[in-house]
Amino acid sequence: MNTQIRKSLNRYHMISKKDFATSGSIQQTAWLCLAMLATVGCSDFEASFSISENTRSLAAEAQNGTGESPGVIALTEEKFGNPQSLKAWTKLPVNWGGTSVSVAAVGSDGDAGTSGESAEVETADATETPESGDNKVTLQVPDESISLPNTVSSLLVSSGESAGQSVAVTSWDASTGEAILATKLVLSAGDQCTLDAGKGLQEGRVLYMRHCSHCHGTAGDGNGPTAQYLNPRPRDYRHGVFKFTSTNDMSRASRNDLTRVLRYGIPGTYMPSFLLMEDDELEAIVEYVRFLAMRGEFERKLVVELSSDYSKDAMVSRIEGGETRDEIVEELAEFLELDMPESVDYVGNDLQEIWTAAETEEARVIPTVARVPDTAESRRRGRELYLSKTLNCADCHGIDGAGNGPQTMAFEKNPITNEKYNEPGLHDVWDNLNQPRNLQAGIFRGGRRPIDIFCRVYSGIKGSRMPSFKNTPHEDIWHIVNYVLSLPFESDPGATGSLASSEVAGGAEAGD
Amino acid sequence: MNLSTLLIWFLRLLSTGLALYELVVGPLVNSVLADVSLPLLSDQVAGTKWFALIFAVTTWASSEKRFWALFFWYWPLVALWACVIAPGNNWWFPSEPLSRAGHQIDGLFYMILIIVAVTFIGTEFALGYALWKSAVRGKDDKVWFSHGSHRLEIVWTIVPAFILVFISMAQLDVVADIRVLNRFPDEVQSGPVAEVMARQFEWRIRYPKPGTELMTTPQPGDLYYVNELHIAATVPTMVNLRTQDVQHSFFVPRMRVKQDAVPGLIIPIWFDAEKAGEYELLCTELCGWGHYKMKARIIAETPQQVSEYLTGLQADQEEDGVADEE
Repeated sequence: MNTQIRKSLNRYHMISKKDFATSGSIQQTAWLCLAMLATVGCSDFEASFSISENTRSLAAEAQNGTGESPGVIALTEEKFGNPQSLKAWTKLPVNWGGTSVSVAAVGSDGDAGTSGESAEVETADATETPESGDNKVTLQVPDESISLPNTVSSLLVSSGESAGQSVAVTSWDASTGEAILATKLVLSAGDQCTLDAGKGLQEGRVLYMRHCSHCHGTAGDGNGPTAQYLNPRPRDYRHGVFKFTSTNDMSRASRNDLTRVLRYGIPGTYMPSFLLMEDDELEAIVEYVRFLAMRGEFERKLVVELSSDYSKDAMVSRIEGGETRDEIVEELAEFLELDMPESVDYVGNDLQEIWTAAETEEARVIPTVARVPDTAESRRRGRELYLSKTLNCADCHGIDGAGNGPQTMAFEKNPITNEKYNEPGLHDVWDNLNQPRNLQAGIFRGGRRPIDIFCRVYSGIKGSRMPSFKNTPHEDIWHIVNYVLSLPFESDPGATGSLASSEVAGGAEAGD
Repeated sequence: MNLSTLLIWFLRLLSTGLALYELVVGPLVNSVLADVSLPLLSDQVAGTKWFALIFAVTTWASSEKRFWALFFWYWPLVALWACVIAPGNNWWFPSEPLSRAGHQIDGLFYMILIIVAVTFIGTEFALGYALWKSAVRGKDDKVWFSHGSHRLEIVWTIVPAFILVFISMAQLDVVADIRVLNRFPDEVQSGPVAEVMARQFEWRIRYPKPGTELMTTPQPGDLYYVNELHIAATVPTMVNLRTQDVQHSFFVPRMRVKQDAVPGLIIPIWFDAEKAGEYELLCTELCGWGHYKMKARIIAETPQQVSEYLTGLQADQEEDGVADEE
């Protein structure tokens, strides 16, 4: 018995000896794995702006450029950068952030009024870098209401001899406005500069990536990792279109509109409220969202310039028509070289114009008459208009406002491909199936204030099939608003005798 | 050298180092060098240096066997000391309780803590005693076998049973005060001031039209807001808790209010804020990928301010976008 055990032990021992080399390599592998595990996640995470489906529909040469001339992808990157290194196309009406200042004095002789202590610090600097006296500038804010930031890392010169140059700031004194620049710049008193230009956009990016990108995607394409679980889908900003705005039907969304959506969320959707964020955080996010929207629009509009002649489909049909691929590419190269810069300018100007216009008072929907008192008579008139042939709200929203009108059963044509959709119902510009709002539910995505409903009717819901009724007299729109706001409380909304029930509801409310 | 010896040496060096640093080097450096301020554990937690000293002395002053016996006696001392200083350091709770129920709940917590601490210290001392006895026994002493003691087993079954029954009785009143509708304070018997509707991932608030009562279904004139609830400070407030989708949980840490929101149920809850100010409202039921976003604030202010707030909210909700001519 004992010998048997010893034998088996010996055998085991032998085997393990024989396998020693192998086990050594296993150990090595284990250490290697451990080392790899320890360093995983240490590498820098590189985000990128995804290339849109639209751009993908172009021929490869149009996407990537030919020879020296950049294609759509490179042009977009040139103007907007990538998430790691954003670019400010200063033509665009984005608040890039930073503090505007002007040069008060240049060189070390400009510190007449400074205290002894700061002068001492300055001489200490001077002994370390002999040239710092030349690199020193004193900056001042245009008026007293703005204060200088506590930390500064860069200076962008916007006027004077060095206009357009950016330089790192190595030392900064917020109390005196004295900055030591990393390299010497030709500056003279009165030159306009920006401290930490683009800081606002960078902060917006950080907040956006943290709070928004998991649904709306890095590029604002509405396709982040959590987007697939959501219905309705998160907004794809790249059309530049936002649904709920207080601007008129042809205008883009204003900063206020975006801030409202951030602050109060969109009830009935997955867009939550970010009420607890600080105002400056919301501001930064709004600017970044606008930046992404403009970037997306820019890309789309460049594609439009090219798609009729140089999309993959167009190439196929042109080749069928007898042209050779080389000929077309040559033509494209010429177009990219000669016409594209002009198109880029044009698109940029267009973006500048429409996004600037959205902020103006002219773009804002302001009813010419105050809200009509919410009486039973007004609601009755609202219902008449709601059912009328001219406005035809019931066609989509249903005669009782339940969002089940006949249009929801019709097969629509895709306005771009001109083909019928596979499923019946209304589609928005993002090709998502939209349910017309059930007005009985009491959930109003764009807000429940009378002015919100007024804007929805007046301007329509952008991107969706809800059209603008801007030609309807404002008084009539108020009647509709009164009717719509009363719908959640109607006991029998579709009944012809709804007048009586709304009278009862109105009476009971007044009685309270 | 076996593992035990190795461990003892490690503990010796560690505790001696710590004790030297806390008692001698740290204070000395801090007092001699004006611009150096070494962080001392004793500054954070009172008494740390003395425990470090006791531990260090123990590691040097005893044989290996006795050391392990003392080691088991050492920890109940630390536990006792921790229990005593913990409330003053806010180790158990995020803040002192700021509501009526909060005081009751904290009272229960401390009662249970005392029971648990006494039990823990007692059993640890007994364990240390057993170890000590065998550590000091001579090499030639006979081993003593025990077949157990029925009497002792009965005692240690019945005593904890009594303790458990006592705890369950003691908490009944507190739970009833928080949960049972007809034991709610008189001030909230008039009804809820708002409905708190949890949804992924926000808190939607519905107040009744000023001057009316809250109904379970929305009424014309109801006021809506999101992620911010205004209540009157110092007086108890009742709200109806609901959820629109999945299960959520209403948690106000400083008021010690925690109640699940269950789909299909309207759950009345009451709470009071002892001080005016802002209170954090969190969701404490993992409700989906955006759970972390589900954060709101409760603002406790004077009844006057609450009614002003509601008037403002009402005006905003009736906004028609036309500037008043007057």
